Amino acid sequence: MPHKLSEIISWPEQREKAKTYFDSYGWPDNRNEAWKYTSLAHLKEGKFTASSDNAPIDSAPIDSTAQPEGFYVEISGSAVQLPPQDALPNGISITDITADDNARAAAFTHLADNHLLPALSAMHQTSAIAIDIEKTDSAAPLPAVILNLTGSNKEGACYPFVIVRVHKGAEARIAEIHSSHAGLSCPLMVYEVADDAKLQHIRLQAEASHTTHLGLNQMQMGKNSQINSFAISMGGALSRLETHSLFLGSDAELAQSAIYLGRDRQHHDITSFVAHEIRDCASRQLIRGVLDDKARGVFQGKVRVAPDAQKTDGQQMSRALLLSRDAEADAKPELEIFADDVVCSHGATVGELDENLMFYLKSRGIAEEDARNMLIDAFLVDTLDEIEDPDFAAFMTSQINRWSLARR
Amino acid sequence: MNLLEIKNLHASIGDTKILHGINLTINRGEVHAIMGPNGSGKSTLSYVLSGRDGYEVTDGEILLDGESVLEMEADERARAGMFLAFQYPVELPGVTGMSFLRAAVNARRREAGQDEVDQLEFVKLVRAAAADLGVDNEMLKRAVNVGFSGGEKKRYEILQMSLLKPSLAVLDETDSGLDVDALKIVSDGVNAQRGGDCGMLVITHYQRLLSHIVPDFVHILAGGRIIKSGDKSLALEVEENGYAGLVDAA
Repeated sequence: MPHKLSEIISWPEQREKAKTYFDSYGWPDNRNEAWKYTSLAHLKEGKFTASSDNAPIDSAPIDSTAQPEGFYVEISGSAVQLPPQDALPNGISITDITADDNARAAAFTHLADNHLLPALSAMHQTSAIAIDIEKTDSAAPLPAVILNLTGSNKEGACYPFVIVRVHKGAEARIAEIHSSHAGLSCPLMVYEVADDAKLQHIRLQAEASHTTHLGLNQMQMGKNSQINSFAISMGGALSRLETHSLFLGSDAELAQSAIYLGRDRQHHDITSFVAHEIRDCASRQLIRGVLDDKARGVFQGKVRVAPDAQKTDGQQMSRALLLSRDAEADAKPELEIFADDVVCSHGATVGELDENLMFYLKSRGIAEEDARNMLIDAFLVDTLDEIEDPDFAAFMTSQINRWSLARR
Repeated sequence: MNLLEIKNLHASIGDTKILHGINLTINRGEVHAIMGPNGSGKSTLSYVLSGRDGYEVTDGEILLDGESVLEMEADERARAGMFLAFQYPVELPGVTGMSFLRAAVNARRREAGQDEVDQLEFVKLVRAAAADLGVDNEMLKRAVNVGFSGGEKKRYEILQMSLLKPSLAVLDETDSGLDVDALKIVSDGVNAQRGGDCGMLVITHYQRLLSHIVPDFVHILAGGRIIKSGDKSLALEVEENGYAGLVDAA
């Protein structure tokens, strides 16, 4: 998406603005409405600096057997390892833009102002990568680009920053795999999907059990573009994934799913903001959570339909399944509709396994524990049809299966 | 030995007493029909028999093959040979038909000390049984009951019954929601499993099902009691005169 130069404030200014914001507001706690269910008060004590420890991590919590094929971009703390450009096929280029202040500043143009996550990234990011996907003559889809985000410094923090530019008419396949062992992990991903372009996207958050994960995925969509995105949050002690989706052209379609899987005392937060600024766009969001033990899940979903965004089709559904009396789920769906000719719906449910379904399975001779497991798996697997790309679907399926088996 | 013996069965849901002393004996190969007006306790009886949570037996006994089932969970009763065809089969999104049917059949086989079914052979077996009931391959691939019509759900119930080969089948209002053609298919499916070792308890509000599945015995349930028993002509009498006269006479 081209930016007007006048809109862009320079990188040093951007950074200064972020510092000013953070100095005034600091780490939010429950008194802040946007952080009502997810307090970051514990970070006030932390002395996090950018991670520079690049030792390989000892145990990957990820099931790597179904790892998708493609070109791997290794981001470990502030160390970045890119595939050599001559190894990449026509249509894909991956560049280190750490020194390119203009490119970094441009990527911030549409990011939320006065918002914690962009501010943290602007203040602390030590590297920046741009991935450009351009339309090719070949009919076959381009290979996937896999962002492998690690980092092993338990005392440190990492702030990876990646801009993915899917150029006009191109089709991109991007996977994010977050398995950092850092104390604080704050990845910022900006996806700029241009007119007529398409993005297939998965995101797996499987970080170490002590990690605080604060991720922001910004999705910007041009005219007639499509995004098919699926995220799983299963790692970390406290994890928040914010997705900010912005329609910048008409006739664009966003299909966005997110699953969170909580155990022990894990805290998972999925916060999404969909901004329908332009007419004739569609967004469909599906959020599911499974919470065991004393885990807590949060879903906050705001859909804003601007006065000019007529014929918007906005659907949002979140469901949380509690497997334990001590688990807790909170949901805050919000619709802000300023246009009159729209179809929008949202729903949020929190519940235990349905007794009627349990009885049906048991009445067929299936034992209680087996019936429970069948229904939990079904609750999650039911969403996997949303993933269009078969490789991505296989990878995400294996993560869910692995989590389910470990729970038993 | 009797297949099923219900003796002086009293049952409640919470504080509400629904069944007030039911006595009923079913032998292998027999088809018994229970008829009754709304609220007479028909569905409660089917749930009490199959061991649904929330239904409390306050007095009496249920014996299956001479063994009390009262302390058994629903899944144990099913593995012991009991089957309930639901009035309203539930949808199971995300549970595919084949994996569900295999889990059910294998649970039963393990209980009987048999090996689990061979996967390929099982698929053949299911397809053959499904074809007889007009359940097509597409339905078998889908999640259990999801997007099925009322008639398709009922046919799927009978398909499960034919695969599980229960010793006692309880059919709860199997005719509800069926048009004439579907009623015929479902009844043929049930009749194919008649005789031999299987006893059946057919619960219905209307006589029309019983002209397809002709019962050996008919019992009228009202106010949580069996107020009259007879042969198939009793069903015709209900059809003719309604329940009112019978209930008043009792």
